[in-house]
Amino acid sequence: MAAAAEKTPMMVVVGIDDSEHSYYAIQWVISNFLSVHGTFKLAIIHAQPSPAYAVGLSGTGTADALPYVESDLTKISSRVIDKAKELCSANSVKDVVYEVIEGDPRNILPEAVEKYHADVLVVGSHGYGAIKRAVLGSVSDHCAHHAHCSVMIVKNPKPKH
Amino acid sequence: MAEQENGATAEQTAAKMKAEEEGMRVMVAIDESDGSLYALSWTLDHFMAASSTLAQPRSLIVFHAQQPFQQFVVPAGQGVFVSASVTDSMRKAQEENSAHVLAKAIKVCEERNVIAEALVMDGEPKEMICQAVQQKSVDLVVVGSRGLGKFKRAFLGSVSDYVAHHAKCPVVIVKPPKEDH
Repeated sequence: MAAAAEKTPMMVVVGIDDSEHSYYAIQWVISNFLSVHGTFKLAIIHAQPSPAYAVGLSGTGTADALPYVESDLTKISSRVIDKAKELCSANSVKDVVYEVIEGDPRNILPEAVEKYHADVLVVGSHGYGAIKRAVLGSVSDHCAHHAHCSVMIVKNPKPKH
Repeated sequence: MAEQENGATAEQTAAKMKAEEEGMRVMVAIDESDGSLYALSWTLDHFMAASSTLAQPRSLIVFHAQQPFQQFVVPAGQGVFVSASVTDSMRKAQEENSAHVLAKAIKVCEERNVIAEALVMDGEPKEMICQAVQQKSVDLVVVGSRGLGKFKRAFLGSVSDYVAHHAKCPVVIVKPPKEDH
């Protein structure tokens, strides 16, 4: 009979952004997946949008605005990571790696999968807001195609807009 | 901002409570491919293994969709006359095939001491999977990444892609082990 726990810890990478869906995904993974798994290692990756990208999308950016946007984005990122840390410690999940990487999550997350030799990549279902998602396409969809490991798409059961 | 955080915390508590109070319902979609059997083993190992230690045991549904068989009949030449007996025998063959696929799956579950419910629906697999999720209040659906096509690793099958977008519950797409090129 196969042993329930694996000898090598399962490597789980969770991609998050500044959205409720991401925090829900973290909680879901911890409650439903990690809590019953023998040994695992968790890495939480936050893809921070680059300022030029964020400014470009708003349509009114000038070069002067970039430093302010950058510091705003950095503030948001620390808040995101703090929230993730809170969730993990509230659930007694230890030894978590937290990383903030600037750039497009569609590239960052599959790369993180390679870097951490992930067995599973977890993403929320609507990483970006509705408008950005219409322009960019779905991050979770891209990860499902391009990540070289199993992908878990955690959908928030809240009614969709 | 404080409001949003309270809302998020309430949701998180709800997610936690649901996991603990109601038995989680997991559904794995199976076809004839090895990939889907691997997805089943993966689910058994990662989601069902410690089920007995939980307050509420998790339940597993093994799901198979029978595709409408009309598409197997391709008119050729002067046209094909499909007699009732041919249709019947094709239908029978399909049902035998489904039974075989599900029996294999149930056996894999039994080897790990998991009792699974077998469910068969008629129709396009991608739509039927999503329908079954709704009808059976499934909390997690698991699919292989690609079915019978032998494409490169980066390719995602149309069924898993559809389910990832349309299922109303979390989805796991299980890719074959890294050794499989």
